[in-house]
Amino acid sequence: MRRFFLFSWVIVALLLTACGGQTPAATSTSTPEAQTGGKSITLNGAGATFPLPVYTEWNQMYRSVQPDVTINYQGIGSGGGQKAILDSTVDFAGSDSLLKDNQYTKMPDLQMLPMLAGAVVPIYNLPGVDKLVLDGPTMVDIFMANITNWNDPAIAKLNPGVSLPDAPIVVAHRSDGSGTTEIFTSYLGAVSEEWKNSVGVGKAIEWPADKNGQGIGGKGNPGVAQAVQATPNAIGYVELAYAKSNSIPFANLINAAGNEVTADAETMQDAMAAFANAFNERLTAKIMNAPGQKSWPIMGYTYLIIHMKENQNCDKTKALLEYASWAVSDPAAAQKAADLGYATLPNAVKELVMAKLQEVTCNGQKVLQ
Amino acid sequence: MPQDLFAQIDLPRVYRRRRFLNDVALSLTGVAVALAVIPLVWIVVYVFLKGMQNINLDFFIHLPQAMGTTGGGVTNAIQGSIVMVLVAVVVAIPIALLVAFYLLFHPQTLLGQILRFSTDLLAGVPSIVIGLFGYAILVVPFKHFSALAGGLVLAMIMLPIVIRSAEEMLKLVPKELREGALALGAPEWKTSLSVVLVAALEGIVTGVMLAIARATGETAPLLFTALGNEHYNVVAYVRQGISQHQSIFQILHKILAEPTDALPLTLWKYAQQPYPERVAQSWTVALVLMFFVLALNIGARSWLARKRRQTRG
Repeated sequence: MRRFFLFSWVIVALLLTACGGQTPAATSTSTPEAQTGGKSITLNGAGATFPLPVYTEWNQMYRSVQPDVTINYQGIGSGGGQKAILDSTVDFAGSDSLLKDNQYTKMPDLQMLPMLAGAVVPIYNLPGVDKLVLDGPTMVDIFMANITNWNDPAIAKLNPGVSLPDAPIVVAHRSDGSGTTEIFTSYLGAVSEEWKNSVGVGKAIEWPADKNGQGIGGKGNPGVAQAVQATPNAIGYVELAYAKSNSIPFANLINAAGNEVTADAETMQDAMAAFANAFNERLTAKIMNAPGQKSWPIMGYTYLIIHMKENQNCDKTKALLEYASWAVSDPAAAQKAADLGYATLPNAVKELVMAKLQEVTCNGQKVLQ
Repeated sequence: MPQDLFAQIDLPRVYRRRRFLNDVALSLTGVAVALAVIPLVWIVVYVFLKGMQNINLDFFIHLPQAMGTTGGGVTNAIQGSIVMVLVAVVVAIPIALLVAFYLLFHPQTLLGQILRFSTDLLAGVPSIVIGLFGYAILVVPFKHFSALAGGLVLAMIMLPIVIRSAEEMLKLVPKELREGALALGAPEWKTSLSVVLVAALEGIVTGVMLAIARATGETAPLLFTALGNEHYNVVAYVRQGISQHQSIFQILHKILAEPTDALPLTLWKYAQQPYPERVAQSWTVALVLMFFVLALNIGARSWLARKRRQTRG
């Protein structure tokens, strides 16, 4: 027994030495790899779950481009990613929602870079109905609980020849705070002043249908998808990738130009092109209810957040910038993103991002030459 | 007189009544047992059926594949869980045993009361709060998520469990045993280590096993400390370190300073993915996690049983 005790204390002592070795490494901000003479670099990032599938794919693909660079991205949510980069505990963050003014005040050199865009689609479960068309005002009325039955004249008018059931509409929504809810409610708010003023726009809202007992909540995109699949006569909203990979039917929408559109690469590109010049100096833009002829109306950008100036480890910064420009400009990366149901950046936006990457400095020196 | 009394009682009827009551009570206890056991069996069987489909050697020795593809494994999570639980055990158990011995010898002192009170408080702190605390004191100052931070947070979760169970077990050791050892001239520390601790070992190990099982299954505190890492591979780190002639401290540093994954963390992440392959793998992770904990328990119990047979025989 005494031997066991001695043994454990030896390990504790070893550990403490290891910690002791770690402190100077952290304060001098040089990577452990740099100390050990190896050239490998690990970049840690965290944030939005929405782009997680494509980032994971990219990180794997990037190993063949830069074998020495390992990128670790973890989907902890947009809010978590923003907090992590404000605490400087990650090298970069991913976020679907924009940084607030007070976050910019706290760390003025933070920069959001649009990477991809994605669509949110209204999914439904109506046995016997394989095609459903909705427009903005009808969507607002359904989610406001003004329209409560599927055979409502407003829905019937948009779907001639479709036999809609005489059944109450069940509204499925996110029970957790979510960027998807923010995008979806922004769309409803863009269509209807009444929605904006009485229900509101945000990551978590009070759903009017819940008050009638016709609402069900689900956690995460899978929760909503499952709720809709399991509940006949339900309608809900998820990201396009979830609807596609689980083969859940989603409705076509009448867009701002008055055309019926479905969510696909073409309609997403059209919406982004319509708003290609909408970027402000922070390099952020809304692409909600786009005016293009073929524009899918419910969309949002997802961003990387990086430091523009406060970089001390230039090797890491260089690796990060090279990765970001590869992700934005490489054709294979774009193809992979498109395969997964994401919309890649229009050329005009790509150029904005590439120009911004050129401006990043480390210890006062430009990193990319 | 007694004979008359007996004659008045309808014996078969009484027996029948008693037998009937006995049967009712017995079947009620049977129902209760079934109710208690069904959820456990159900969970085990369900997870087993769902998880078996993906189980193969690759699952244990390979890093994860890209999403939406079959194949690949979770060796990063398995290795991360083992590393963090080892760190937690090494840190928590010596401290917990020292505290337990202090509480045994000085239960009424001010420090003893403070220790006991704060142990109870620590046991009641939600694990996600411990995770946030770990983020604030172990991650933010070093600007780095790490396996070490994850292990230390798990140690914080294990501490109160081990302290309370060890204290209870030490209290059960008869005072006479201790007094006997002291009377024979053994110093206090020797008495504690080779008499009291050995006598209470079985209970203490059981408590430690419970604590390890609890720590292995924790997700929330690791979100803020270990973060997750699809590339974590101790074997590769060691191999790379040897090929580059690094010292053992440099290799150990690499193992502990990288962000890492854990089985419950992977389960939580995979279950939310849009890809059916990932969701199927999350069931397999659940199965592995379940057997990891089960094997730990069974292993410890059989080790104890053998040890007891040795000391008695």
